[in-house]
Amino acid sequence: MPEVRSMNALIETITTDQADLRDRSLESLVEDATLSELLDHITELDRFRRQEDNLYQRVRALFFLSAIYRYHLPPRLDQSSSGSIPFEGYEHLLGRRFQEAIDEFLEVQSTDGASDSLSSALASAYHELGFQTLADQVRHSVRTVRGNQWMFRLGHVAEHPLRIRKELLPTKDAPNLSPVLKETTAVRMDVSHSAWSDIFFLGMDYPEGARVINVSVDLGVRGRDDQVRPPIETYLRVIDKPVFRLVSVDLNASVEVTTIAEMFDFARDYLGLLKAAVIAAGVVPPGLEGCGSDMASLLERVVGRGKGLELVSKINDIPKGSRLAVSTNLLGSLISNLMRATGQIQSLQGELTEPDRRLIAARAILGEWIGGSGGGWQDSGGVWPGIKLICGQIAGEEDPEFGISRGRLMPDHEVLGENRVSTEARQKLQDSLVVVHGGMAQNVGPILEMVTEHYLVRGRDQWVGRQEAMRIYDEVVEALQQGDICRLGSLTTENFEGPLQSIIPWATNRFTDVMIQRCREQYGDQFWGFWMLGGMSGGGMGFIFDPTIKQDAQDWLSQEMVTVKRELETALPFAMDPVVYDFQINDDGTFAELIPAQSAVLPQKYYALMMPKWLRKPLRELSPQTREELAGISRRCSDPNDREANAALLLRSVLPSDDKASSDKKDDSQTSDDSLAAILKRSGFDRSQHEQIRADMRAGKFGLAANRLSRDLKITDVSKEHVTDTRDGLDDRLADIGSKAIANGEIGVVTLAAGVGSRWTQGAGVCKALHPFHRFAGKHRSFLEIHLAKNRAATSQNGGTIPHVITTSWMTDEAIRTVLDRTENYGHEGPVYVSSGRSVGLRMVPMVRDLHFLWEETAQQVLDQQQQKMRESARSAIANWAQQTGEGSDYTDNVAAQCVHPVGHWYEVPNLFRNGVLSQMLRDQPSLRYLMLHNIDTLGANVAPGLFGLHIESGATLSYEVIPRRLEDRGGGLALVAGRPRLVEGLAMPDERIEFGLKFYNSMTTWIDIDALLDSFGLNRDSLNDASAVDSAVRQMAARLPTYITLKEVKKRWGHAQEDVFPVAQFEKLWGDMTTLSDIDSRFIVTPMRRGQQLKEPSQLDGWNRDGGSAYVNALCKWNKS
Amino acid sequence: MRVRKAVITAAAPNQNTLPLQRLVDGSGEEKTALQLIVEETLSAGVEEICVVIQPGDEDNYRKAAGGSLGNIQFVHQERPLGYADAILQAESFCGDDPFLHLVGDHLYLSATSKSCAAQLIEMAEHHSCPVSAVQSTREHRLPYFGIVAGTSVPRFDGLYDVRTVVEKPTPTLAEQSLITPGLRSGYYLGYFGMHVLTSAVMECLHEVASDESMERPSLSDAMAKLPHRGKYLAYQLRGRRYNIGEQYGVLIAQLAIGLSGRDRDLLLTELVELLATRAEHPVAATIDPPSESSPLEGSN
Repeated sequence: MPEVRSMNALIETITTDQADLRDRSLESLVEDATLSELLDHITELDRFRRQEDNLYQRVRALFFLSAIYRYHLPPRLDQSSSGSIPFEGYEHLLGRRFQEAIDEFLEVQSTDGASDSLSSALASAYHELGFQTLADQVRHSVRTVRGNQWMFRLGHVAEHPLRIRKELLPTKDAPNLSPVLKETTAVRMDVSHSAWSDIFFLGMDYPEGARVINVSVDLGVRGRDDQVRPPIETYLRVIDKPVFRLVSVDLNASVEVTTIAEMFDFARDYLGLLKAAVIAAGVVPPGLEGCGSDMASLLERVVGRGKGLELVSKINDIPKGSRLAVSTNLLGSLISNLMRATGQIQSLQGELTEPDRRLIAARAILGEWIGGSGGGWQDSGGVWPGIKLICGQIAGEEDPEFGISRGRLMPDHEVLGENRVSTEARQKLQDSLVVVHGGMAQNVGPILEMVTEHYLVRGRDQWVGRQEAMRIYDEVVEALQQGDICRLGSLTTENFEGPLQSIIPWATNRFTDVMIQRCREQYGDQFWGFWMLGGMSGGGMGFIFDPTIKQDAQDWLSQEMVTVKRELETALPFAMDPVVYDFQINDDGTFAELIPAQSAVLPQKYYALMMPKWLRKPLRELSPQTREELAGISRRCSDPNDREANAALLLRSVLPSDDKASSDKKDDSQTSDDSLAAILKRSGFDRSQHEQIRADMRAGKFGLAANRLSRDLKITDVSKEHVTDTRDGLDDRLADIGSKAIANGEIGVVTLAAGVGSRWTQGAGVCKALHPFHRFAGKHRSFLEIHLAKNRAATSQNGGTIPHVITTSWMTDEAIRTVLDRTENYGHEGPVYVSSGRSVGLRMVPMVRDLHFLWEETAQQVLDQQQQKMRESARSAIANWAQQTGEGSDYTDNVAAQCVHPVGHWYEVPNLFRNGVLSQMLRDQPSLRYLMLHNIDTLGANVAPGLFGLHIESGATLSYEVIPRRLEDRGGGLALVAGRPRLVEGLAMPDERIEFGLKFYNSMTTWIDIDALLDSFGLNRDSLNDASAVDSAVRQMAARLPTYITLKEVKKRWGHAQEDVFPVAQFEKLWGDMTTLSDIDSRFIVTPMRRGQQLKEPSQLDGWNRDGGSAYVNALCKWNKS
Repeated sequence: MRVRKAVITAAAPNQNTLPLQRLVDGSGEEKTALQLIVEETLSAGVEEICVVIQPGDEDNYRKAAGGSLGNIQFVHQERPLGYADAILQAESFCGDDPFLHLVGDHLYLSATSKSCAAQLIEMAEHHSCPVSAVQSTREHRLPYFGIVAGTSVPRFDGLYDVRTVVEKPTPTLAEQSLITPGLRSGYYLGYFGMHVLTSAVMECLHEVASDESMERPSLSDAMAKLPHRGKYLAYQLRGRRYNIGEQYGVLIAQLAIGLSGRDRDLLLTELVELLATRAEHPVAATIDPPSESSPLEGSN
């Protein structure tokens, strides 16, 4: 009887109208279920979601399924059996055919039974299908908003229904000059931070909970700008050339778009946002994509024969990641400007009416979707004036969402007048609040996905947190209305430290925590509170102070933030130095004025950007308008009353700059010590090897295709006799052996920390080992700190001393040493050695052949329709770049640290020989006989006595740990190659299908017999001290191992926290390939998944935290107070 | 209500010679456009016609009027103050009587035995209120027309109770507030260039003409006020209209008239021959719909 009830309960929770039933958490419904009950639930839910018409009910069932497969089913499965994931299903998954993928996986599940591997695949497939369904709905809603539909129907330029307003055309008196339509727009701050409730999905399912207070603000950067003003300015004018000229003065980019197709090519240049605006404003309607026309014929209809348009954007150098929705409001401003100019908005000048603002907001959402980016529904708040409440709305019969989702896509905006928030209260807010950009620019996408998922499964803590945040929202509104800023501060702090972090622990980070802490220490009660802007902290943030000390605090903060950044910049991804803003509330919203032709002037930086291009041409080739423009510049520069005209700036733009000016730009990275040449010299860069690799790469001997093993090799999965399976536990006897050896001081730990974790920070080049990514025992701890804590736990349980080696490379060495110094090895008392990398490579511009191989030959995740378009456009730009820069040439166009690379973890072990660390260790602790080597991100790896005992008893040289494969464990595995078990790198797989036939994934954790390993190199404890013998032994061994070419993404930072990502080529030798050598005795141990689980991407954190991964790691550690 | 009067406007700058164009009518007789329009009007039972022209055009118009001159009187629009102003010139001619209004650059071809004007007048007399002829117009033609929106009147096919009138709306606005139920998506009711107007419209015209915020107001601006003052209908009549002011407008109108008349076979033979003969130097043709007609008169 209880079984039947619990079976219905899940679906009842989804379908019911009763809030108390609907909001039950999934955990509460399934935590007591047995395996078979859970499997029944799964069957029921899958059947339900297949036949259910209601979108949100379907989506919720999908997320229930995903969560059950991810969190609830695996612990109930027999851990000692391994399943495998069918490759066909995986291919469907990559191709975004989620439905087919699920069917494929379910079929295997029904024949082979549920397994951990399959569950991970199903969890992922349901998760993706859920998000795809939601995204499709938002897209559908955006398209069906009235006023947007026609743009998708238009198919030919000849049918273009828009015409430019005649006020914008040149007049007969001045045929060569056009009036300029200038739009100024504020950015927005979210005062309440109502737990990310502005995510479209949330607003559309739970409109009651989707509420924010949104304030339009003007900005200035403190110390740089002398006035506070609306940061966004956009300009539109008619030009006498039939092109659509797009100019971004902040990005120093301009382009003349001559075909319709180019307007849809977003990633081709830096002007994607402007293009998206032109499209969303209907000037080049989305329906025209692929029509093949040229821009001139479109412009002829819209503007007139021989005429074109010029759209200029300026955001006053507000850095990216400000969490002030700069890009959405810029989009709004551009769209508003274009829609005024084409009569889609009645008022050509001044403020907008409410219906017009809503129209702009709807178009901005469309623009974001077209441009492949995404924002929240409150983001276009800067288009509205002052302080407003933005609230989700229940969909009514008139709305396109009616009957599909509970809420509408578009929320309602209620501008709070003087009667609700008095001038005095507004002033008080401005007198207390300090708005800053902390300098971190992170991708909040994964966070928004986590929030959505938590919401849909009503995660218990998260749901309580959400209710709490809603209560705080009400109080924040109250406090604001009363002008009680002190209370406001304590509420936003309460919100940040309470509900926000219980929903998403990663909303905060070490930097934010330290800053809050220092504010408290510095100002005590006069520090009224902290508030997070946007998706996560670290970028845009607010600090609230007693008004009497605000000025002082502002100055102090601007210095203190930089100090703290310096301490943490190797560990956390900062994009720039922190800045403090001056701000004031903007009471106009977006505002336009038509500047008459005679006095129409564009921003100075526009002329600085365009003038060099004009001057390069003979005067007779310039259009009359441009000639007139140049004459105007000359006039203004000689007019002493024109204070805006900056002749010096213009002059600089056309004259070659001297060295000093260019070194200013490149900051301190080019000083002698840090120059690329110096680094290469210091790190033992092997020029001749580099040239050899380059030649081989250019000749096609090395390359992504050449990485692969020959196709005629027989590669199959291993069977029982090739591994020792320890998943069911180990003999106590082995544990005893291990424990004794630990107590005798026979083991040391090697933590590989030479890599920068390019996937972890998407190529930001910070040191992953030092990233304090998760709170353990009340504090954010880094990977390194966690590994040391496990070391302590092992010695305190078994006795003895475990020397700990951290291997570094040029990129990580100094950072790691500095932090270890500063923290006194994180308070770790045992011996810690830093093994500095002795090998470094110079990155190269990839071969176009390899790029195409990567994009076309390897299985790639197909993205959402619009994002895929973006990606393809970006790829052609990258292939172009590689060709133009020269394939295989040295990659030097970046800061030095991003130009060099570690040459693969294989070298990190020989480095121990070459740099003398191993011999030092052996001198310090002669009893040392074994090493346990592990990756920085294998958090579960510890010196487990049982496994250690197993290795000792086996007498093997190397014992590699492998784990049962999950969907995310890509990149090779344990295989039987021509009858011999060995590890095969993902790069070397001749066919990706093979990898899916391999049950075990290499966790990289290796038990090493030191003497046997030395022996295989032809060395021993004594000859280890002979540098030349070591060098030659290492070189010989290296020659026996394969060299892989890989493409890594590196970030290039420029401008104001702008980033470009380039794939560059580098070579690697990998540790796992030691198993290819038949003269080395390598064994393989299967361990439980937890022990080998690796954290590669921040998006894994949430799952890792929820599925018990963090608890597992916590249990292995012994924390100290450091 | 009986409609016995008609007002034809032909005073717009650059459009004033269009009614003087010569075409061949359905019976093979050569006539001016003005004659064709006047005939359309007379066929609907109208007895007196007022043509609003530019000063100085009267002699030419008299010559072009042919045999119907006796029914016509000419009034002059002294300055080009717009469409609304042009109709107002006929105020004393109309008095308080309802009148048929047509524009001088359009020709009409009915799909039934009853002329377009007759269909419209019949509807207006039946309902005793102003009625505008409309046609279903695709959204890409919005920049050329006044657009009305409303609900269909039960039991009268193609008749609509007008709620909103907007001159040359953008598709964005059209989609938000000008959708008429029953039309295909992306289609709106656009003016046909033919109306039955009453003295109430004259009042509205006066209001917009004296409104200084409006620059050269059009008829649509005045008609936009009408739904608030009483019954105002739009009728989708059976027929087509041809704007001879557009590029190739005269040619297309002539073909349409010719193909519906006596010389259909002759014309078809000629057309087939034209089609069969390939041009020796084909000119790269761009598909270009007729260019925008006069901002004043074209938007009827």
